[in-house]
Amino acid sequence: MRSLIRPLVAVVAVVTLAAGCASKAPSSSGGSGSGSGGKKQFVVGYSQSNNAEPYRAQLNLQLEYFMKQHPDMKLLPIADAHQSSATQVSQVQNFIQQKVDVLIVSPNEPAPLTAAVQQACQAKIPVIILDRSVNTDCYTSFIGGDNYEIGKLAGQEAVKQLPNGGNVVELRGIMSDQPQIDRDKGFRDGIKANPKIKIVADREAKWLKDSAVPIMQQWLSRYPKIDLVYGQNDPMTLGAYLSAKAQHRESQMKFIGTDGLAIPDGGIRAVQLGELTSTFVYPTCAKEAADTAYAITHGKQVSKKQVLHTTQVTKENAAQLYKQYDMSGKIGG
Amino acid sequence: MPDQTATEEETVAAKAGGSPPRLRTRMRRLLPVLGSLQGYIGLILVIVLGLATKGEVFWNQTNLTNAVGAFASRGILAVGVTLVILTGGIDLSVGSILGIGSMVSAMMLVHHNLTPWEIVPICMLVGAFFGLCNGVGTTWLRIQSFVMTLAMLSVVRGLDRQYSNNVSVGTQVVNDQGHLTPHSAQFQDLGTPGHNVLTGVLGQGVYYPVLALVVVCVVFQLILSKTRFGRHVYAVGGNATAARLSGVNVTAVTITVFVLSGMLAGFAGPIDAAYSASADPLAGTSYELDAIAAAVIGGTSLAGGRGTIVGTFVGALILTLLDNVLGLNAVSDNWQLVIKGLIVVAAVVLQRPGFFAAALTPVRRLIGSSPREGDEK
Repeated sequence: MRSLIRPLVAVVAVVTLAAGCASKAPSSSGGSGSGSGGKKQFVVGYSQSNNAEPYRAQLNLQLEYFMKQHPDMKLLPIADAHQSSATQVSQVQNFIQQKVDVLIVSPNEPAPLTAAVQQACQAKIPVIILDRSVNTDCYTSFIGGDNYEIGKLAGQEAVKQLPNGGNVVELRGIMSDQPQIDRDKGFRDGIKANPKIKIVADREAKWLKDSAVPIMQQWLSRYPKIDLVYGQNDPMTLGAYLSAKAQHRESQMKFIGTDGLAIPDGGIRAVQLGELTSTFVYPTCAKEAADTAYAITHGKQVSKKQVLHTTQVTKENAAQLYKQYDMSGKIGG
Repeated sequence: MPDQTATEEETVAAKAGGSPPRLRTRMRRLLPVLGSLQGYIGLILVIVLGLATKGEVFWNQTNLTNAVGAFASRGILAVGVTLVILTGGIDLSVGSILGIGSMVSAMMLVHHNLTPWEIVPICMLVGAFFGLCNGVGTTWLRIQSFVMTLAMLSVVRGLDRQYSNNVSVGTQVVNDQGHLTPHSAQFQDLGTPGHNVLTGVLGQGVYYPVLALVVVCVVFQLILSKTRFGRHVYAVGGNATAARLSGVNVTAVTITVFVLSGMLAGFAGPIDAAYSASADPLAGTSYELDAIAAAVIGGTSLAGGRGTIVGTFVGALILTLLDNVLGLNAVSDNWQLVIKGLIVVAAVVLQRPGFFAAALTPVRRLIGSSPREGDEK
């Protein structure tokens, strides 16, 4: 009996898998090429480095939304590289094979993606680079925020919050990430205005809230006086807030974050609730990317480099900013 | 292997008869349950290091609670992983199952407004289901556990990300007046820093993640050392063929340990969500490696058949207290990684069966008592 069951289970599993693949296949390949309704539709491929970061998930939602605003633009299903440059290279090559009209890439890392972007360029496909650069000039437009500027503004906010100086702790993202390096440098330059402000401790919390909690607990044990927490993203800053609140010390210090996502668990809401003193919106570039793709396909000139500026979130403008950036309800299905 | 030597010694002792050997036999029965001596030495070394460098800052209730609490969810994973390793298998999917458990708990709270009393069992069921998949894969489909659970690591993480839409879900739900909803406030007791349970019974109360870790360790150590199932776990890990021939249902034991491991990972999910007051789609990533490290440092052999839950608990304490001591001393993150890796190597070398006896042989010779024959080989 058992000897029969095993092959049966295997067969059923294989059939289900095959059926699943078969049913998926037409829908993904059917998106390529020009639209069917007679009128020309421009196809856009987007390769995202990692869907599973709230910032990038928000970017994806916004891009889908803003693309839909242009009826003759069609966004293919977003390709997720799961933080792997190798995966992303093959995804970009897939889009080249499908001869998309515009290719948008959020590079996972500059160097590995450079060759793939050059391939697209040789295939005469216009490329829009988002957020992180590549080591070639062979693209149509780069759109990104300025992490150094955001760090520097955060530093200047710290100077404003601590007129008499004080002890600052800094929670850093993954040490080798370029945004981490830039935000850190900007912040340190920003606080130079007041030499009485000292960074007493800084550690890598890998952009993660649950890594930040124990680190802050250790700092609270070590330093009787902490005046300001600077987190290079909001989740880490909010993790530090949780730790400080547990020891009833949250009112003794200011919390400055970065990202300012308009999601219930994000930084703008936290500023509204008074948990964060302030945060800085790191622009997702989605609207600009959609507009640039539209301009390219309609023969208009686009600028080679578009640097987007940040918006500081304070208690005064938080509610309005949340409404402006909130994507829930704007996208159906 | 070591079990066999232990039983040989026991029978030798029993044959010799008399009361002193009987006492020794008892000691030998009790000792394995307590884990290896080397584990305790390591733990004491870490504590001494902490006391020497930071004194009161290290040795106070708040800091120790924080340190153990930071590792509690991974410690619970380690208990499940230990069970699987004891049977000679491995479970790489526990980090992902913790992740989906954490996401399910946040979703149940935010979208369905359930109480923690309902959320925790649901998460355990979800975890147990994925554990069952692991068990079925390794037994009926005869996939090696490393491969099967590696596949489930990917499958479960994918489901988690799909379910959450890649967006983290906060567990601090606020009503119109700006206060936490009652269920959200209760959920904080599952591990949000600064919230204790049993405050009425035990003065300041206890931090739930720590309590949960200790209870899980005690319960599963009792299951391992006091029940027939526990003996079967060791038997399957020691020699699966011999176990089968002596009437142990190897398939049932294997499936059960995977279900228990998944269930514990599901149980740890809400703790992880409460700890950072949000469920992140990436929560639990690479936790399985920490869990395996805790088990290995605690004296569990990846070959199966040797190890205890108490040992794993000690291993978890070593890892998290070391992290705490290094953090308090502001050791750079890069060196922390190096040190933690070296500790695993040292632990495995030191815990080789017979390492201690071999090291003691010259000492014994000096004293003049003749070493036993087994040690000389």
